Amino acid sequence: MKEKNFDHVDKFIGWRRLADKDREKVMDNVASHEDWKSCFSEIGPGLLLFARQWARSAADAEDIVQEAFVKFWRRNHKINNRALLYATVRSIALDFIRRDKRRARREATVFAEADPTVEPQFAWEDEAQSALAAAVGCLPHDQREVLVLKIWNELTFSEIGEALGISQNTAASRYRYALANLKKNLQPQ
Amino acid sequence: MSDFSELENDLKALRPTQPSPVLFERIEEAMADCRTGASPARQRERSRYNWLSLGFGLAAAAVAIVLLLARINTDQTRNENAEIAQVSPSSQTRPVLPSVSGVNGEAMSSNKFISSGTTQVVYNERDEGLHFADGSRQPLRRLRYRTQQTWQWRNPSTGASLRVSYPSEEVVLIPVSGQ
Repeated sequence: MKEKNFDHVDKFIGWRRLADKDREKVMDNVASHEDWKSCFSEIGPGLLLFARQWARSAADAEDIVQEAFVKFWRRNHKINNRALLYATVRSIALDFIRRDKRRARREATVFAEADPTVEPQFAWEDEAQSALAAAVGCLPHDQREVLVLKIWNELTFSEIGEALGISQNTAASRYRYALANLKKNLQPQ
Repeated sequence: MSDFSELENDLKALRPTQPSPVLFERIEEAMADCRTGASPARQRERSRYNWLSLGFGLAAAAVAIVLLLARINTDQTRNENAEIAQVSPSSQTRPVLPSVSGVNGEAMSSNKFISSGTTQVVYNERDEGLHFADGSRQPLRRLRYRTQQTWQWRNPSTGASLRVSYPSEEVVLIPVSGQ
């Protein structure tokens, strides 16, 4: 199999879906000093999307991702413990909110109901994708959180449960509710 | 779950927005900072380095102190030989010790001690009552003070210092006027 060349990463950060074996290989290497770029190019968009759930702007989300990724790297955890990486992002995102009193007031509502200003950001290509993205943004927060981790970060339900501090069954249940809600909302009236 | 497979495929086709290139640069910068100073491995290295530096620093300081003390001792020995170390009554009235009359001006300046302080500590005061001096009808109150006097000189060129401390007793007569 031809080795992947990530020299272009500085110029262009491509997002693509990896096969499981490739992904594991990449994840295993993210803790090394040299391979963090290639790994971040793979997981960065998903991490950013996950962080956007708490951040009001892309800039804030990038701050969160930067802090979490660097913190994770500094502790030199194995990246195959992906749940810990996402838990770190979540923890830093909540700290980020708490740091701002104005946002602290919003924290309660963030978990209680969907906030249309904090919807995930996607690069859609047509009207159907645009509607799908909007529908994802309108999901209840707990369902959207699981959906983002499952679809765009490719975590297992076990990992999702570990990252969010919920049981595996709860994660699976929320995922199914999310899909059901999406399907319901996307049906023509 | 199979009912949602089409929807899942549609969701997977949605692509999250890319992180900005600036984020990549910022993380790279943060990573570089970690490598130079904050990663666990580096912290251990830096810790060892600091202990090593501390050891060398202490050793250097000890050597410097020994050299300084040796120099002071040498200077004091030289001063004794030059007959200036003995405390004479005149030294009490002259705060600056007489400098050694050297062969040249440089030697004189290096041996010059300048008064850097004088202290007088009264550790006992005794009132010895009224007394009449001979041939005087006015009473005098006699007070006796016991003190510890300390004189200190310093050589600015060598940093050496000389301190003389001695006990003294002083009797003060205060005229008392009757009302």
